[in-house]
Amino acid sequence: MRVDSAGRAPVRADRLLDDVSRDHARQARRARAGRSRRMALLASCAALVLLSALALRLGLRPVGWADLAQALIAYEPTDPEQIVIRELRLPRLVGALLAGAGLGIAGALMQGMTRNPLADPGLLGINAGAAAGVIGGTFLFGMGAPSQQIWLALGGGALGAAAVFALGGGAQASPARLLLAGAALSAFFLAMVRGLLLMSRQSLETYRFWVLGGFDNVTAHTLGALWPFFAAGALAALAAAALIDALALGEDAARGLGVRVGGARLLAGLAIVLLASSTVAMAGPIAFVGLIVPHMARAAMRNDMLWLVPCAGVFGAGLMTLAELAGRSPLFGGAMQAGVMSALIGGPALIWLARAKEGRMS
Amino acid sequence: MMRAVRIGPVCAPLRPRPLAASLGLSLCLAALGLAALAWGGYPLSAGETWQAATGRGDAVAAMIVLEHRLPRILTAIGAGAALGLAGAMVQTMLRNPLAAPDIIGFVAGANAGALLAALTTGGMIVGGALAGGALTACAVVALAWRGGLDAHRLILVGVGANLTLGATADLLLSFADERTAADMARWLTGTLHARSPEDAALAWAGLALLSPAALWLGFPLGRMALSDDLAAGLGLRLARLRLAVAALAVALVALAVSVAGPLPFVAFVSGPIARRLTRCAGPALAAAALTGATVTLGADLAARMVPTFRLPAGVFAAMAGAPVLVWLLWIEARRRRL
Repeated sequence: MRVDSAGRAPVRADRLLDDVSRDHARQARRARAGRSRRMALLASCAALVLLSALALRLGLRPVGWADLAQALIAYEPTDPEQIVIRELRLPRLVGALLAGAGLGIAGALMQGMTRNPLADPGLLGINAGAAAGVIGGTFLFGMGAPSQQIWLALGGGALGAAAVFALGGGAQASPARLLLAGAALSAFFLAMVRGLLLMSRQSLETYRFWVLGGFDNVTAHTLGALWPFFAAGALAALAAAALIDALALGEDAARGLGVRVGGARLLAGLAIVLLASSTVAMAGPIAFVGLIVPHMARAAMRNDMLWLVPCAGVFGAGLMTLAELAGRSPLFGGAMQAGVMSALIGGPALIWLARAKEGRMS
Repeated sequence: MMRAVRIGPVCAPLRPRPLAASLGLSLCLAALGLAALAWGGYPLSAGETWQAATGRGDAVAAMIVLEHRLPRILTAIGAGAALGLAGAMVQTMLRNPLAAPDIIGFVAGANAGALLAALTTGGMIVGGALAGGALTACAVVALAWRGGLDAHRLILVGVGANLTLGATADLLLSFADERTAADMARWLTGTLHARSPEDAALAWAGLALLSPAALWLGFPLGRMALSDDLAAGLGLRLARLRLAVAALAVALVALAVSVAGPLPFVAFVSGPIARRLTRCAGPALAAAALTGATVTLGADLAARMVPTFRLPAGVFAAMAGAPVLVWLLWIEARRRRL
């Protein structure tokens, strides 16, 4: 017996040691994953800064690095180079950064909230509502000035999202039903807009201008009016991200963990509406970015919303700036829509990602 | 609720709800068809329409009914049924209610192909569309294939291809001159204006050829909606089945595009509406085909109602389908809450 117990004891100790070392390995792996995420985020931030500097420097009018530094640090309103940088390129760059980050974050939240890889912030009825707002305002009240369009688009987007939430069964409804209602209502509004456009030439002129969007008309005034919405949306998104991770386990599991499912969905919805409708108000309906960017971010960050949301923001801002820069390049005639460009860049990237990951995502 | 019906050696399950839904949809479709036959810029009474259709009316009425309205109605029904079938199949296969057949890249490829053909040759729109769509669908399936056809990867690759090709089409459209661009914009919305009897014959022959295969695939499709492991455990060969479903869906959409252009929204909306009407867990393919036909015919009728503009039917597809779907969803949500 003694021999037996003496013989057994080392085995147990071995097993204990084994467990301990396995725990160590797990912790080390987790730490390594955390470190690699931090490194990825830092690296993409650095790349974003570099890209922004390039976007400020490149353009129709040649500008040197010295001009750039001076325009940012000690602005002289008489120098034409510095005027170009400060008055044209800087608002455009900030607009692209804000729009890309907003759409990326909204897309990550939307896909996390609905657990559907095809979800896009536009599916909550925001883009369609904004389009209907702009067209309705022009058609019924003759409001066509760009400064009025911002508020028409913002209000229309919020109203569209509210209608989708109400008809899709509210915050308690299953995500699939919400998405179906959103897609159906969006299609309905857009079809109505298209019908109106075919009948009214004046609306068509306004709409054509608005739907092209882009960042050429973004001024410091627009940015000043809209940045509080972006800031509030980003804060709400970070708060919602902590709750949505639990939702990804399924509603019952989330409820078991003490998360209020309805409240979490409402907070996420609020963040999405704030970010996406202020983007629409600023730059028109930019499709695709909210759909592609979360997938790219997920490839770098896995499924951890608290990391995913900032990462999607940085990636979105980068993609939008890159698309804006490429769209201005002489290769595409110098005036390609940023939305089209982002689809041309992002589509192949998405295919490559989907193939590279060997189905790990499912 | 299910009852078994036995006739001699044959035994089949009989579910009253899907049967009633299909009957109701058929009646709705028939009523719409009759309305579309009688209503138009040259008004005919019901009696005159009947006489013209049976060949006893005057020559003008006979020409209008038999050569203009009837082919248009038949084409709408055929194209709509094909789109409805394809939509319900792909949505069930990918287990995602948002995954219309566009996800396989066919429609985006068809648009880009049609634009390219119109720009380079000035015609051959339908040929370019079919070639572009088929090429894209093959490329998407090949890119997503990796020892099998994973639903998630197929969706992602499809989305990527759709975005890229959609942007390419926008780019091509910006190169075209104003007249071509306006013509192409009309074709790209999907129109049923001025269909010939040949179009109707093509649509119905294609449907007769493809729908038996679709209905046969409906049996394994109901089980493919379960999880991958469960479906494989039931003895389904998932990769082969998915390939078959994708090929059939592409063929059906190609049929619809060749006679009516890329009608939007019909393929997306038919499956969810049919499933809510029949309240069964399976793909409800027959009901989805009937829904697609009803929506398309309704859209075309609505497009004809607007005078002087000759709006393409594609504009109205969403207006005819979306309110129905939203209403059904709303009822469902309310019932669950009570």
